[in-house]
Amino acid sequence: MTGTTRGWLLAAGLTALGAAAVWAATASLNNYLLTLIAFAGINVMLAVSLSLSNGLTGLFSLGHPAFMMVGGYIAAILTFPANRKGFMLPDLPEWLAAQQWPLLPALLVGGAVAGLAAIMAGFPVLRLRGHYLAVATLGLIFILRAVVNNLDGYTRGALGLSGIPKLTDLWWVYAWVVITLFVCWRIKHSSLGRTMMAMRENEMAAACMGVPLARTRLMAFAIGAVFAGIAGGLWAHLVTNLTPTSLGVFLAFQLVVMVVLGGQGSLAGAALAAIGLSAIANLLRPVEQSTGIYGMTQIVVALVLIGVLIFRPQGLFGSREPGVLMRRPESSAPSRTAASTQTTHLEQRGST
Amino acid sequence: MTSYLLQQIVNGLILGSMYALVAIGFSMIYGIVRLINFAHGDIAMIGAFTALAVMIVAGLPLPVVILAVLVVGAAMGLAIEFVAFRPLRGAPQVNGFITSLAVSILIQNVAILLLTAEPRGVAFPAFLSERIPGLPINIDLVDILIVVLAVALMLGLVTIVNRTRLGMAMRATAENLDVARLMGINVSRTIMAAFAIGSALAGIAGLMWSARYGQIDPIMGFLPGLKAFVAAVIGGVGSIPGAMLGGYLLGLAEVLFVGLLPPEYAGYRDAFVFGTLILVLLVLPNGLMGRAAEDRA
Amino acid sequence: MRTLKTIAAAGALATGLGAAAEAQETVTIAALYNLTGGMSSIDAPALNGALLHAALINEAGGLLDGTVMLEVVGIDTKTDQQETATAAQQALSMDNLVAGIGYGDTTFVLAAAPAFQEAGIPFVTSGATHPMLPTWVGDHMFMTAFGDDDQSYAIADYAYDTLGLRRVAVWTDDSMDFTRALSTFFRERFVERGGELVGDDFFMMGDTDFSAQIARLQAIDPAPDGVFVSAIPGEAGLSVKQIREAGITYPIVSGDGFDTELVSTVPGPDLANDVFFSSHTYRADDRQVVSDFVAAYEEEYGRPPENAFSPLGYDAIGLVAEAIEAAGSTEPSAIRDALAGIRDYEAVTGMISYTRETMVPPKPVAIIEVQGGEFTLLETWFPDEVE
Repeated sequence: MTGTTRGWLLAAGLTALGAAAVWAATASLNNYLLTLIAFAGINVMLAVSLSLSNGLTGLFSLGHPAFMMVGGYIAAILTFPANRKGFMLPDLPEWLAAQQWPLLPALLVGGAVAGLAAIMAGFPVLRLRGHYLAVATLGLIFILRAVVNNLDGYTRGALGLSGIPKLTDLWWVYAWVVITLFVCWRIKHSSLGRTMMAMRENEMAAACMGVPLARTRLMAFAIGAVFAGIAGGLWAHLVTNLTPTSLGVFLAFQLVVMVVLGGQGSLAGAALAAIGLSAIANLLRPVEQSTGIYGMTQIVVALVLIGVLIFRPQGLFGSREPGVLMRRPESSAPSRTAASTQTTHLEQRGST
Repeated sequence: MTSYLLQQIVNGLILGSMYALVAIGFSMIYGIVRLINFAHGDIAMIGAFTALAVMIVAGLPLPVVILAVLVVGAAMGLAIEFVAFRPLRGAPQVNGFITSLAVSILIQNVAILLLTAEPRGVAFPAFLSERIPGLPINIDLVDILIVVLAVALMLGLVTIVNRTRLGMAMRATAENLDVARLMGINVSRTIMAAFAIGSALAGIAGLMWSARYGQIDPIMGFLPGLKAFVAAVIGGVGSIPGAMLGGYLLGLAEVLFVGLLPPEYAGYRDAFVFGTLILVLLVLPNGLMGRAAEDRA
Repeated sequence: MRTLKTIAAAGALATGLGAAAEAQETVTIAALYNLTGGMSSIDAPALNGALLHAALINEAGGLLDGTVMLEVVGIDTKTDQQETATAAQQALSMDNLVAGIGYGDTTFVLAAAPAFQEAGIPFVTSGATHPMLPTWVGDHMFMTAFGDDDQSYAIADYAYDTLGLRRVAVWTDDSMDFTRALSTFFRERFVERGGELVGDDFFMMGDTDFSAQIARLQAIDPAPDGVFVSAIPGEAGLSVKQIREAGITYPIVSGDGFDTELVSTVPGPDLANDVFFSSHTYRADDRQVVSDFVAAYEEEYGRPPENAFSPLGYDAIGLVAEAIEAAGSTEPSAIRDALAGIRDYEAVTGMISYTRETMVPPKPVAIIEVQGGEFTLLETWFPDEVE
């Protein structure tokens, strides 16, 4: 009981601390740094939500950018100024073209549709395993891209939507990062989360224990997609431009990298990896620009990745969360169990 | 109309030959070390640039070029295995996948730094692009060479895998790495052999690519690499005959979708290719010739 | 941030008035390009051109009687729009920023230029050609190149009038807006002139194999008398090679995506025949600025300009420099006004004047022929009189 209270207090304290940091940042930093932080925040959202399926449940999905595209396009179409919309997107039904929504409902609708899309796609696709699932979800990106590219009258095709109102700011991103972390944290430490991890460790054993495999998989996939859709909406209203190629395979890879680097199933790890990767890339930016050696950033990031995976194959945190964040201070026993299951998990993967 | 269809099929087979060569290496490495090697396509790029250097810059004849590409491809495969994958042995599979992505990014960006991103034309001897006379459809000499060489290499590989001690070691290692080691098989050497052979084949695919299309650039390996991954998955990752079949099917699907669909749907080609792929996998969840996932994943 | 900058500028002005008149100032021009990733073969040459021009200007003593030196900071946006949006903000945070230049593709300009517009800093795109670009972005957006409508009209006119083509098939790279726009304008003009479109076919960026499209082209009965290939440089040489290898001999026509050596080197001199494309007036052109540019480029980089984007990058810096001279100031707002007032600036890629209401420069368009792998300037097309 006291443990729970402590957890809530800690969460509230961290949220307030974060809010103070955001306030200090918006007051003192220039737009460049604010933009960097905003993108890092969106990446945190994406990495953490992807860890639901890829980290906790052990699915290998590359489909996050596809759901971002769904959420991004829908949110952008909803917030787009009505006076230009009908002209730019002539095939939109009139009632839709007349809408001009504020950001929040647009994000929510975008996220909801992305979640629905994930359920629809998930029914067939989630029957696949391992790399077969990876290829199928990769396919979702290509399929969606082809559709968006060819539905000119609704999406403006290859040119993309430009002039999307710039509604996303650091506060929006921060709020959604907090919500994403909160929801995913609660899921991880709920019976649903334990079900997911049980499936990851041993599917057959989980099934024998009465875990509804298909439904749990679909839940992980769809909840992740809802956040991806919302993140896509935030992204679109930050960049102000969204094209069929804006969100692609490379982003899918980057997100998987974040999840793995953070430690499969560690939400804090995924978040820190997302922040760390963008920090490295952007710290190198001025060096690259003054030396004229373009491509250096990617080379250094690649080397860091290889190094980390060689020296810390379980990622930054394994499947655990940093000790300070755990609810009960005395709960060293469960975390040791988590560590040991992780080891067996590794051995099992390595030798099959 | 029949010659139109025949032409499309032949074109699909030629494209498929190159996908198959890359996919085989992919599948072979996967079969033995359970590693999806995304840098595999980039080895094809290195093969293509090796061909350019040996043929155009050094002016050496075609057989020497082929030999050089084989050697450089194999050497690159070994180097990558030694630096990036050997230290990872025993780690979760997905780590290898990420490392291979990192290696791919590394190779591409170093190549851009050294060679610039600009595509360049490669002039192969003109007789290669001579049209074969007397046929109702259009086939160049180089097309025939590609298919013949691809099939020959595949047959050679199958022979190695099925008939030699090395092949037996490979199959044993693929079956169960630990047991193979207990049986006295030098697992490290077997893995190195898989990398060397697979990468040499990818290098040759790069050579063919440049001979057929006449243009190469530092990021040319990415898309074929991705497609070879898809081809290997269609065939059933880890199965060598499956990779061949997957490569040919993907080549045929790409050409036939464009060739047979009304042009206004041509923009949906990738959607059709991937849509079909997903359907195939739903019917055969382990690919065409793969084994049950429980064994593999 | 902007306030700080203004204060700094005002301070500089005050000290400038009081102190020595020959004080030298270095102004920054941010150059946003995709130097790695899929678009790098288009954008890297443009940055090379831009850096070269800035270096030449500085060597010659700078601008405004030697008081202003240029510093071009190239920013790699990795063919990624998130990087593009970040880079735009990074550029805008730079000290002494007077202008931004960049990109050979409209979709990337649309991800960067609005930030410059909002900050009141002019942005000159070196290579993007969508004729609506200045309208969409605003009064701080300037184009170095002509609009796609002009270049398509030029080659459509040439194909109809001089080559006498009447039945043409159109190939389009369906994955890019540039290539789709080019085809749309070509179809519009060619039909308007009385020509007939006998086939439409599509491919995707990154495709190397056009055999399906070729088989379909050959199946058109009766055969067309020309094919319009709307492609970027990476696809130009590949498509010519494969079309000619298939035994198709009728003319291949295109736009500035074909302005690359690859059209000659990939098919080889035996097959690089009867290719006609519209482009910026620099290739095979004997004007002094052009030969100076080509010589300087070869000296600096050890190779001829890779494609039309390198002279365009060079000209983008030229426009900014011209505007600084004309404004007599390095204030971004004064530079913007001076850019808008540019008339008859002799750029490597042709005369530039911002006289149209759309702010798309009505530039002359070169019609270039490739025979036996050699490029020849056939004629120069001029757009309809200024509206």
